[in-house]
Amino acid sequence: MNITALTSTGQQTRAIERPRLLARAWELRRFLASRLFWFQALGLFGFLFLMTWALHAPDQIGAGVSVGGGGVSLNGFVAGTSAGGLLRTLPTVLVVLALLLPFVTADGVTRDLHRRTHELLMTSVLPTWAYVWGRYLAGLVMSLGLALLLLASILGMGWLLHLTVTDYPAPETGAVLLLWTGMVLSATILVSSFGFALSTLLPRISTLVKVVIMVAWIMGALVIPLGLGGNTTPPAWYVNWDPTSGITAHGLLPSYAIHLGPTITSEAQLQQLILSIENKMPDLAGWFAPHLLLAGCSLALVLVAALAFKRSRDVLN
Amino acid sequence: MELTIEHLSKRYGQHFALRELSLRCEPGMLGLVGPNGAGKTSLMRMIATLLSPTEGTIRWNGQDIRTHGQALRQVLGYLPQDFGIYPEFTGRQFLRYLAAMKGLPSSLVNRRVDEVLSIVNLGQEADRKLPTYSGGMKQRIGIAQALLNDPELLIVDEPTAGLDPTERVRFRTLLSSLTSNRIILLSTHIISDVEAVANRLMILQEGRVLADTTPEALLAQTAGSVWSVTVDQATALQLQANSQVSTMVNQMNGVALRIVSATRPHEAAVVVDPSLEEAYLRAVGRQEVRV
Repeated sequence: MNITALTSTGQQTRAIERPRLLARAWELRRFLASRLFWFQALGLFGFLFLMTWALHAPDQIGAGVSVGGGGVSLNGFVAGTSAGGLLRTLPTVLVVLALLLPFVTADGVTRDLHRRTHELLMTSVLPTWAYVWGRYLAGLVMSLGLALLLLASILGMGWLLHLTVTDYPAPETGAVLLLWTGMVLSATILVSSFGFALSTLLPRISTLVKVVIMVAWIMGALVIPLGLGGNTTPPAWYVNWDPTSGITAHGLLPSYAIHLGPTITSEAQLQQLILSIENKMPDLAGWFAPHLLLAGCSLALVLVAALAFKRSRDVLN
Repeated sequence: MELTIEHLSKRYGQHFALRELSLRCEPGMLGLVGPNGAGKTSLMRMIATLLSPTEGTIRWNGQDIRTHGQALRQVLGYLPQDFGIYPEFTGRQFLRYLAAMKGLPSSLVNRRVDEVLSIVNLGQEADRKLPTYSGGMKQRIGIAQALLNDPELLIVDEPTAGLDPTERVRFRTLLSSLTSNRIILLSTHIISDVEAVANRLMILQEGRVLADTTPEALLAQTAGSVWSVTVDQATALQLQANSQVSTMVNQMNGVALRIVSATRPHEAAVVVDPSLEEAYLRAVGRQEVRV
C-alpha cells in the first residue's frame, strides 16, 4: 500500500440522483460483464429456435375423400407459427422460459445476502427502496429480453420455414404479437415479480421458492391440460385466469378446429382451408385482460417486498 | 464530528452480545479488542446501521442514526470482517460500482478509484477479474472501497486478516495517516496492530467494556506484572499450567518464558517491560501462548 494523502471528497459525497435507475443500470452492467450470461442467452435462443422448428407442424390433418368414384387421401398441417399453431405449442415453449426466469430474477436481492456483498451496499447511501426496485427492474429487463428471444425465435423460424417449406405460411405478425403479449409477456412479468418478491421476503427459502414456482408451472401448463384430455371443457374462469396459458389455449383451440366439407377434394384446397382457420386472429375476449391483470398484481407484490425489506437486520448472518 | 453511544445493548434471544455500552468518540483511532464473541462485530455493525440495537442509542453529530441513518452513511467507510465480491467485475469495475452507490459524483469517480487503487497498491491488477485475486488482494480491495468516499467515520473489522506482513505494516501506516481528521474504529485480534496505531483502546469481554483506556495507560497498569525466566522443560510445563504464560521459546539453555503474574512466579524470574499483548492478557485474564 502506498501511503498517499486522500483527496478530500467528503463535501462532494451526496445523495444519489435517480438512485433506482443507477441501481438498475449497474446491476445490468454486472450481468452484461459476464461472458456466461451471453453464452446462456445465445444458448436459449438456439434452443427456442430449434424447438420452434421441431414444433413447426404440431397438428397433422389427414382425410380420405371420394373424388370421381375413387378414394383419395389428403394431408395437411397446421403451421406451428400461425395463431392456431401457437395455441398448440406456446404453453409448452413457455414452460422452458418459466423454468429459467426464477433463476434470473428471484435472487436479485438474496444473492447479495448469500454472497455477503449485502453489507457493502447497505452501508452506502443507496436508498433501500431504490436498491430493491433497481434489482427488480434489472431482473425484469433481462427477463423481458429472454421473452423477446422467444418472440424472435417464433418470427425468425416462421419466416425461415415459409421460405424453405412448401405451403408453410408466413407468420402473421399481429397475431403472434397478440399471443406473445397475452401469454408470454404477462407470464414473464408474473413469474419474475412473484419469484423476486417471495425470494426477497423469504431469503432463507429462496431455493424452495424457485422450486415451487417451477413445479406449479409444470402442473398448470402441462400436467393439468393433459389430465383434462381433449374432450373435457374447462370452466370459463379457469380458461381466462390460467397464468400458464395451458388451459387458456385448451379453451381457445375449439375455434381453430378444422371441419372438412364436401367441397375439399385436393390437398391444395385442404391447405387453403387450414390456412384460413389457423391464421384467424385469436379471440381476446375473456382471457387477455385477466392475464395482464395478473401481471399487474404481481407488481403489487414487489411493492410489498420493497416496503417490507429491512436495511438493518436483527440477527447476524 | 462526534460519535456518541449510550447504554447500547444487543440481545439474541436470551444471550446478550453487548450490554449497556456507552462511548464517545472524537477524531482519532479507537482500537477494539477482545476475545471471540466479545461483541466487537455486533457493535461495529450496529454503528454501521446494519444491525438494530435492542436498547440504547447511537448518535452521529448529535443525530440518532435510527432516524438519520442516511446522514451517517454519507460519511461512512465500512470494511466488514468477511465480505463478498461480484465475480463478473474487475477490481476497477467493482470500485466504480461501489463509488456510484456511495454517491460520488461521476466526474470524480474515476480519479477517486485510481487514487484508492494506488493507495492499496493494486493499480497493476485493477483490470483483472476479481475471482483471480488472492485473499490478500481481495482484502486490499475491501480496504479501498472503504476509503472511496473519504469517510469521516471509518469502521474496519479485522482489516489486516489475510495481509502479508509488509502489507500489514503499510496498512497500519495508512490508518495512522488518516486519523487526524476522522474517527476510526479498528477491531482486531492482532494486538500489535492496535499498539502501532490506536490512541485509545477498548477491551470488550462477554459484551461488556472491560477497559476503556490508552495503550500507554494499560501498559503502565501492567508494569511490574510481567516476568521473564529461563527454565528447563519440565519446569516450563509446570509454570505454563499454573501461570499466564505469554511467550514460550525453546532455546539452547532451556525454555524462555514470559509470564503475566501479579506475584513472582519463579525464584529466578525477573520483572520486564510489558508488551501491550501482555497488558491485554492481564486485563482479560485469559491464557494465550505464543511458541
